Amino acid sequence: MKARVKTTTSTPVVIDGAAGEGGGQILRTSLALSLVTGRAFRMVNIRAKRAKPGLLRQHLTAVRAAVEISDAACDGAEIGSGELVFRPEAVRAGDYHFAIGTAGSTTLVLQTILPGLALASGPSQIVLEGGTHNPLAPPFDYLAHTFLPIFNRFGPTVEATLVRAGFYPAGGGQIEVKITPTDRLRAVELLTRGTDSGRRVVAHVAGVPANAAERAFEQADKRLRWGRGVCEIIEHPTERGQGFVLVGEVASEGHTEVFTSFGERGLRAEAVADRMVEQVRSYLAGGLPAGEHMADQFLLPMALSGGGAFRTAGLSPHARTNMDVIQAFLSVRFQVTELKNGGVEVRVPCGN
Amino acid sequence: MSSKKLVVLGLLGTQLDTGKHAHRWKSWRPTVSLCQHDDLLVGRLELLHDRRYTGLAETITTDITGVSPETEVRRHVVEFGDPWDFEEVYGALADFARGYSFDMENEEYLVHITTGTHVAQICLFLLTESRHLPGRLIQTSPPRERQPRHLAEAGQYSIIDLDLSRYDRIAARFAQEQKEALTFLKNGIATRNAAFNRMIEEIEHVAVASREPMLFMGPTGAGKSSLARKVFELKRGRHQLAGQFVEVNCATLRGDTAASTLFGHVRGAFTGAQRDRPGLLRSADSGLLFLDEIGELGADEQAMLLRALEEKRFLPVGADQEAKSDFQLIAGTNSDLSGAVAKGEFREDLLARINLWTFVLPGLAQRTEDIAPNLDHELENAARLLGRRVGMAKDVRAAFLDFARSGEAKWSANFRDLNAAVTRMTTLARGGRITHEVLSGELGRLRTGWKTAPGTVVGENGDENALLMSALDAEGAAALDLFDRAQLACVIRVCRDSKSLSEAGRRLFAVTRGKRKTANDADRLRKYLTRFGLTWPCANHSPP
Repeated sequence: MKARVKTTTSTPVVIDGAAGEGGGQILRTSLALSLVTGRAFRMVNIRAKRAKPGLLRQHLTAVRAAVEISDAACDGAEIGSGELVFRPEAVRAGDYHFAIGTAGSTTLVLQTILPGLALASGPSQIVLEGGTHNPLAPPFDYLAHTFLPIFNRFGPTVEATLVRAGFYPAGGGQIEVKITPTDRLRAVELLTRGTDSGRRVVAHVAGVPANAAERAFEQADKRLRWGRGVCEIIEHPTERGQGFVLVGEVASEGHTEVFTSFGERGLRAEAVADRMVEQVRSYLAGGLPAGEHMADQFLLPMALSGGGAFRTAGLSPHARTNMDVIQAFLSVRFQVTELKNGGVEVRVPCGN
Repeated sequence: MSSKKLVVLGLLGTQLDTGKHAHRWKSWRPTVSLCQHDDLLVGRLELLHDRRYTGLAETITTDITGVSPETEVRRHVVEFGDPWDFEEVYGALADFARGYSFDMENEEYLVHITTGTHVAQICLFLLTESRHLPGRLIQTSPPRERQPRHLAEAGQYSIIDLDLSRYDRIAARFAQEQKEALTFLKNGIATRNAAFNRMIEEIEHVAVASREPMLFMGPTGAGKSSLARKVFELKRGRHQLAGQFVEVNCATLRGDTAASTLFGHVRGAFTGAQRDRPGLLRSADSGLLFLDEIGELGADEQAMLLRALEEKRFLPVGADQEAKSDFQLIAGTNSDLSGAVAKGEFREDLLARINLWTFVLPGLAQRTEDIAPNLDHELENAARLLGRRVGMAKDVRAAFLDFARSGEAKWSANFRDLNAAVTRMTTLARGGRITHEVLSGELGRLRTGWKTAPGTVVGENGDENALLMSALDAEGAAALDLFDRAQLACVIRVCRDSKSLSEAGRRLFAVTRGKRKTANDADRLRKYLTRFGLTWPCANHSPP
C-alpha cells in the first residue's frame, strides 16, 4: 500500500481498507495510531472485496471503545459502512467498562486502546467482558504471557487478570486490566531467544469429559517429551457453555511464546494436541525469538519508540500490511533485513 | 444498511430454542443465532412467549446478553391456548401488533418466522404481508454440515421483503407475464393504436384481478367475440376458470325457445320438450358466458339473467327446483343500452350489474395505424387456410394501405371487411402474389359494397351478394356458409371473365395444376360447381 503522509496534522490520513490483508487489523492499527498521535484518519474501501463488505460488528466494538476513551468524532460507524472517518480528542485515562459480544474479542479491543492509554496522563483500569478464548483472536494466555511482558519492556506497566473465561460461542468472560502509563516508549530489541527457562502445557476446560485433557497431555508428551509434570488443567464453570483450549508455552530468557489450539466438535483430543505441537515445533526449529503474532504486535510500539529491532522466522501478509499502515501515520521507515540462516530482522533505525 | 435501530419480533421456539446446561451451546438455537451474526446488529429483540415457558425465555435472554451485549431483550407473555388453532393464534398476534407502538422513523423491524408452530409462522407471514407488522421477514437456518463451526456457529439468515416489486428478477417475470398476456389478448398482432393498447392493458388487468361481468361495446366486426374468447383463454391459462367458453348471440334467441336455450328446461315443460336441456348458463358453469347483442334479450330473460348473476341460481323452464351455475359474464352490444333503458326496453338494474367494466372497442376506421399489422395477420391466416404463402408486393401493399387509411374506406363491418378483402385477394392471387390487378378489383368491390350496403354485416358484401344471387336463387345463396360464399363468389367472378370452362379452370387451379399428372382443371371446376347445383353456362352467364 502506498499511503500518503500529510504534512499538516489537521488533514486526515487516508487509509485504503481494501489493501493488503485483514481489514479488521488495518482498522485496529489505524485506531490505535490515531489515538496515540491525535491525527484523524479516513478509511475507505473497507473490506471492499469481501463477501460481506464493509464494517462488521467486531469492528464496530473496537471503534466504539476508541471513541469512548478519546471523545472522538466518528462518521460511518455502521454495519456495512465502506468508509469511516475518525477524529479523536486527547485520550482520557480512567476507568472503563466494555461489554463485547462474541462477535468481537476482548483481546482485540484491548490492542486497539492499549497504546493510547499506555501513553496517557494517568493510570487506567479497564474491565472487558466477552470472549477471552476465541479461535479467531489471541486468547487471554497470549495476552498475559507473551504480549504484555514484551509491551511492558517499552515502558508502561500493564497487568491483566482473567476474572472469568469466556469461550466461543457463549462468551460472557471477563478480563481486568490495570495500566500504569509512561511518558514515552523506550526502544526494545528482541533479537535472540535466550536460554530456555521453562515449558508448560495448560488445558482450559469447561464441561468437557475429564479424560479429554488427559489424552491431549498424553499426545503432547509423546511428541514433545516435556514430561507430564509441566501439564496443568484449569477448570472453568460450565454455566456458560463448553470450552476446551490447549495452550503450549515456551519460555525463554526474557520472552515467552504461547501456542494455542481449540477443541472442536468432532475433533479428537489427540488432534487438538497435534495442532498445538506443530506450532511449537515450527517455532523451536526456527530458533528466532518473535513468533508470527508477536512480529505483528511488535511493530506498532517499536515504531512509536523510534528505535529497536526484532527477529522472526518471516513476515506474514498481516505484518506487512501493518507496516504500511504505521508508515502512513508516522514518519518512520522499517528496515527489513534477510538473515543468513533464514528469517528476517525488522529494525527502526535510531533518529529515523 | 440504514442507521435505524434494528428491532426483531419473534416467538420463543419451544422446541428449537431449548437446551439445558452447557450442552445448549452445542445446538443451533434460532433466537440466539439472530444475535450472533457479525453483519447483523439487533438493537432490540421483542421475544413473545407463553407464560409456561418463562424459564426458557429467561435463559435465552441471559445467553443473548452474553453473545450480544448491544441487544436489549424485551419479553412479552402471549397466551395462545392452542398454538395450532389458526383463529386463536392470529387473534393473539394481531392484538400484539395492534398494541405495539412502531417507531418507523427511528427503527426498522424484522419478523422472525423460524420459530413457533407452522400456524404461528403463517400468521406472522400474513400479518407482515398485510402490513399489520410493518417490517420484513427474517428466516434463520442452522450452519451447513461442512462449515467450520468456529466460523459459522450462527448459521445463516435471510431477509425477505414481501414487496415483490423490490426483487428485480421477480418484477421482470411479472412484466414478462403481463406482456405475454397483452400480446395474447391482441391475437399476437402488434397493434399501434395507443387508445386500443391502453384498453387492452385495462382488460388484462381486470381479467386477471376480477370475476365481475364485463361489457364490450363496439360496432359489428370490431372483435368483441374474439376478445371475449381471448379473455376466457387467458383466465383459463391462469387457472382462474375451469369450465368452458359458451357464446351466443341474443339476437338469434327469439320467442319461446329463448328462455329454454339460456336457462334450460325440464322434460315436458312445453310441447316438444321431450328431454331435459341444461341450457347455456349451466354449460358455462365455472366458465365464461359471452352474450353478444345483449340489448336484444327479452324482458323475462333479462330478469332471469339478473338473478342468475346476483345469486348464481335460476329456475329452468318448467322446473320447480333452481339450478346453479357460477359463470363469468361478458356481454357485447352495438346499441346504446342507456337509451334502451330510457325507452324501457332494457332493465336498468341489469345494465348497472353488467356495466361495471365497460370497454368500447373502436372500429377499424378509428384505428387506421392498426390496419397494417392486422393486414399482415390476415395474410398469415389466409396462408394457413390455403396451405400456401401469398405475397404482396411492396407497392401493392402501400396502395392497399393508402386506400385502407383514407376517408374513402368506411370499413363498416370493420375486421370482417378486412378479413373478407384479404380472403378474396389471396384466393384470386395467381402465382402466390397479389398483383395490382387483383388489388384494383378488390378496391372496386370494397367501394361498391360500402356504397350499396352501408353498415352491412358478415360478408354480406353487395358485390359478392349480387354475384351469388345472379347465379343461384335467393334460397340457395342464403344456405351458404360464409366460407363457401366468399369462395364461390370468387369462382363465379373468374368464370364470368373467362371464355371457356378450361380457361377458368386453368386460372383457378394455376398453382396446383403443374403438380398433377393430368391437367383436368375443367373437370375439377365442373365438379366444384356441381356441388352448388351450377353448370358452366350458369356460372359464365353475365347478368343483364
